[in-house]
Amino acid sequence: MHLVDGALTTPVIVTATVLAAGGVALGLKRLEPERLPQAALLSAAFFVASLIHVPVGPASVHLVLSGLMGVLLGWTAFPVILVALLLQAVFFGYGGITVLGVNTLNMALPAVLCGFLFRPLLARAGARPAALLGALAGALAIALDAALTGLSLSLSGREYVVAAQLIMTAHIPVMVVEALLTAAAVGLVHRVRPELLTAPRLNTGELGA
Amino acid sequence: MRPGAALLRGVLALLLAALPLQAALAHKIKVFATAEGRTIEGYVYFPGGGRGRNLQVLFLGPDGARLGETATDADGRFRYEAASAVDHRVVVDSGDGHRGEYVVSAAELGGAPPAGAGAAPATAAARNAPEAPAGTADAALEQLVDRAVARHVRPLREQLEAYEEKVRLHDVLGGLGWILGLFGLAAWLHARR
Repeated sequence: MHLVDGALTTPVIVTATVLAAGGVALGLKRLEPERLPQAALLSAAFFVASLIHVPVGPASVHLVLSGLMGVLLGWTAFPVILVALLLQAVFFGYGGITVLGVNTLNMALPAVLCGFLFRPLLARAGARPAALLGALAGALAIALDAALTGLSLSLSGREYVVAAQLIMTAHIPVMVVEALLTAAAVGLVHRVRPELLTAPRLNTGELGA
Repeated sequence: MRPGAALLRGVLALLLAALPLQAALAHKIKVFATAEGRTIEGYVYFPGGGRGRNLQVLFLGPDGARLGETATDADGRFRYEAASAVDHRVVVDSGDGHRGEYVVSAAELGGAPPAGAGAAPATAAARNAPEAPAGTADAALEQLVDRAVARHVRPLREQLEAYEEKVRLHDVLGGLGWILGLFGLAAWLHARR
């Protein structure tokens, strides 16, 4: 998911960067002061989660948390992911600096889509359906991340099917883990602070956009 | 209970299906290579994971021209005979947007005297040095010493590479500090309004 410098062509990078900048601007505009701590906390969680590589078989995977961020933050997922990705690139060399916009778009757009899709449903759901919806959001976000990453590569001249297949297969374990984790997190939020999922402005604001 | 068990079985099946494709199952790919004489030897690995099996390994010259290629075996190792003693850029691409590079310098390959350490002995004379005075005891001895030193230094270099890849606590804390700082800045800007 963290594409490196040199993997993409300039038109792809420029287009994605412009789109990501738009998303970041929109996210910052939508960021209410009361949600600042939450945004910072999720940014920190994403920053750390991507660094903890869990061995699966002979290789390793890490969490992305796109689904959770989208469901809790909506458009604000853009600036939150940008900050964490920038720090990951600078401190650890995870993902390139020039492709920062691409990586941000690939991870934040699925998050925003999950927010659109699942927030209205979550606002009305009971405890058990809420956890299930969380699981769906978690898995869907990763699948979309992988699809977008594959798309970025294919637009840069790789064969889409091959690239997407490679990335999808690699992320099946991530999807499973994210589904479980997002289900737990959303279930918990739903029980303890349901207003985070039902905040009207975020819902209508997103749907109206 | 039954749907739960079915779900678990499905999850396990998915996980097992993903295992053979470990080549792609990682988030960063790295190459390590050393030269002994003209033979470049090395391996491809995923930091914190396993080896990169059956991947194409490209060798590029200093000008970016393709010098040759090989593939990694089941242990992620590769071996390549360099045709000339120029800088070899060893490039591995896993096909999913991850790329690893490692440079084997001309000095390492040629067995040429490392007098001007760092500066590649690009002249024809320097490149042919080991062959030209063939039979000279000095040259042979020098090659022998070079090889021995390379062998002994190798574990250190591997350790250094691995160390660079390690996620260090102070870096993580630094990143968290940045996020906290940005949060504070945003809160302050909001408060001023």
